Amino acid sequence: MKKGRKLNSTNMNNSKNRIPRRQFNQTMAALALGALVSSCDKKSPRAAHKVLIIAIDAMDHEILSRLMNKGAMPNFSRLAAEGDFRPLMSSIPAQTPVAFSNFITGMNPGGHGIFDFIHRKPGDVILPFLSTSETEPPKRLIHFGKYQLPLSGGNVVLKRYGEAFWQILARNGIPSVIYKIPSNFPPAPSALCREIAGMGAPDMLGTYGTFSYYTDNPPDNASKVTGGKVYTVWVENNIVRAEISGPPNTFLKDQPDATVPFTVYIDPKADAALIEADDNKLLLKVGEWSGWVTISFKLAPFAPDVKGIVKFYLKAARPDFKLYVTPVNISPEHPALPISYPESYAATLSRETGPFYTQGIREDTKALQHKVLDDHEYAEHALHVLEEDKRNFWRLFDCWNEGLLFSYFSSLDLNQHTMWRASDPLSPAYTSALNRDFGDFIEKLYIGMDDLVGRVRAKIDKNATLIVMSDHGFAPFYRMLNLNTWLAENGYMALNNDAAGDKIEFLEGVDWSRTRAYNIGINALYINLRGREVNGIVEPGAEAERLIAELAGKLEALVDEKTGKRPLRKAFISGKVFSGDHVAEAPDIILGYDRGYRTSDESALGGFPKNFFSDNMGTWSGDHCMDPEIVPGILLSNKKIKASFPFIHDLTPSILAEYGIGPSSRMVGKTIW
Amino acid sequence: MPKIKIDGDLYERVKKFAKLAGYSSPDEFIIHALEKELSKLDGADSDEEIKKRLQGLGYIS
Repeated sequence: MKKGRKLNSTNMNNSKNRIPRRQFNQTMAALALGALVSSCDKKSPRAAHKVLIIAIDAMDHEILSRLMNKGAMPNFSRLAAEGDFRPLMSSIPAQTPVAFSNFITGMNPGGHGIFDFIHRKPGDVILPFLSTSETEPPKRLIHFGKYQLPLSGGNVVLKRYGEAFWQILARNGIPSVIYKIPSNFPPAPSALCREIAGMGAPDMLGTYGTFSYYTDNPPDNASKVTGGKVYTVWVENNIVRAEISGPPNTFLKDQPDATVPFTVYIDPKADAALIEADDNKLLLKVGEWSGWVTISFKLAPFAPDVKGIVKFYLKAARPDFKLYVTPVNISPEHPALPISYPESYAATLSRETGPFYTQGIREDTKALQHKVLDDHEYAEHALHVLEEDKRNFWRLFDCWNEGLLFSYFSSLDLNQHTMWRASDPLSPAYTSALNRDFGDFIEKLYIGMDDLVGRVRAKIDKNATLIVMSDHGFAPFYRMLNLNTWLAENGYMALNNDAAGDKIEFLEGVDWSRTRAYNIGINALYINLRGREVNGIVEPGAEAERLIAELAGKLEALVDEKTGKRPLRKAFISGKVFSGDHVAEAPDIILGYDRGYRTSDESALGGFPKNFFSDNMGTWSGDHCMDPEIVPGILLSNKKIKASFPFIHDLTPSILAEYGIGPSSRMVGKTIW
Repeated sequence: MPKIKIDGDLYERVKKFAKLAGYSSPDEFIIHALEKELSKLDGADSDEEIKKRLQGLGYIS
């Protein structure tokens, strides 16, 4: 979130996502009705049919098949025997925000406009941003002493286009509960629906998650830590005083970060400490996590406090003091941003189940990457996330009397990303010690999901439809392609004479008058097209088409000299594979990597590392941003599936068909039944 | 981590005002002050915020 932007309001007045008048009236009517009737009481003949969708992000078809074949997933096997089991083709590219946008709308990216985790705004400076939502600042401010007051609300805007399937269901009288679906922040407003935002929802700082690490002996990499901040503290008489940073205080003219002070009293004899933060007092042993703690940021005397929730983890008390604090999550009980629909729903669920992570990506892979959390500490934290999702799922399941329930589990995705190196000896980051401790970590997570499916099958109504699906599969990530470096070396990009080569980030130092193509994003390649890009030099039409075909051909033929393999299976030309109103906004080429390869981190953010390829030595050792044929997801149902190789966007009309509703004309998916 | 030498009197003033301003240590105060000044020189605070957010994405190391 940019400084100076206000933490409030929804996308209801956003012209791109404006809801139609009739739907708005239905929404308001439903809200009025909701005040009188609880969700468990609503009944309509059509809504009596129940559909449960369990979405397990990144459950891989090959791994699941192997585990089923050896009898490790008996409940998945029983579900497959009762109905069907298929590989599920992901989106192009096979990224979660894109794939779930396909699933939500039944369209491909040309229709819903989400093409990558990272998009770019063509301008004087090509500035990338996270694709699924955007915050707009308040338009007018009034100054009052040291304070400034917004006269109009800022907006958080969902950048995904198209109607969500649950909005269509609601128009037909079918209620839904949508728990943490990605690419739905802020949640699409809809009558009869209850929604909790998922991947894409920010923490209190407006980021995907910024942890805090307090220590009196900061690591050498402290200034280079991303996704978190290292604070140097002093221990005086066994006492540490520090602050937790919150959002910028937009009521103050210079907008300093709001903070909450806290004090740590280290036990002089035992490996433990007492932490006082606001009115909370926590006694933690070394190696112990706290539960959720609510903290209040005071912005101005006339404004209500903004509340967040954090967890503390005491890594060490002495000789060095080490305290990890999770990113400040928006309090579900007092949300400062629209993390649910209706806005009161997050508080309702929190009161029923207890507080929960509200940031979209919960597993703190950045703390692991920067060694703030070691593998054991990260694994314990990651399992807390899974337990919380399971706890909330069972609450929703037990209260589910009609209509559709969708519930999302992130654990397989984030933990395959980080722990792939523990079970794959070919991973550059593999060690035998890691294998000894975590070699079966991923497999255990799969088996844990089997247990959940077994319990669901035992409890679900006989006539209900059960769908278990994933958005994509998974694969190793051994080698990184520095695509911008390749483009520059092959004459498609040029740098200014004073550009700092491998120090460049965000395409700074690019000579656009001599640049014909560039990479921003994990799977995206753009042509420097005249009329679309401010400094475009490639003429639209025949010249652009020739260049795209030439680049696609060369990239598909590219060979990694170290391995002798071709890193790219397919260079998808967006004009050929996408359809819909937003094709013109798409990257010109979507890179379909082969197993083991992906764009490098540096290139994805507009950098130029030295060589074409490099080994991936990081903890982020598995990935799925590849040709979707390499990483199919999974689809199981207790109903027979006619489609032999369904696509993820086929599920949308299939869900509607469960209630006798036909697909909209903009959908490209076809029913699987 | 690199170290910077500053005048002893200046350090005492930093220590005093860091405490008054609620910083947890003089180091934190100095780092904050330097970052604030550097961001003014960079002249693109909001761009920096966006970059920080992108680098916080797990998919980007």
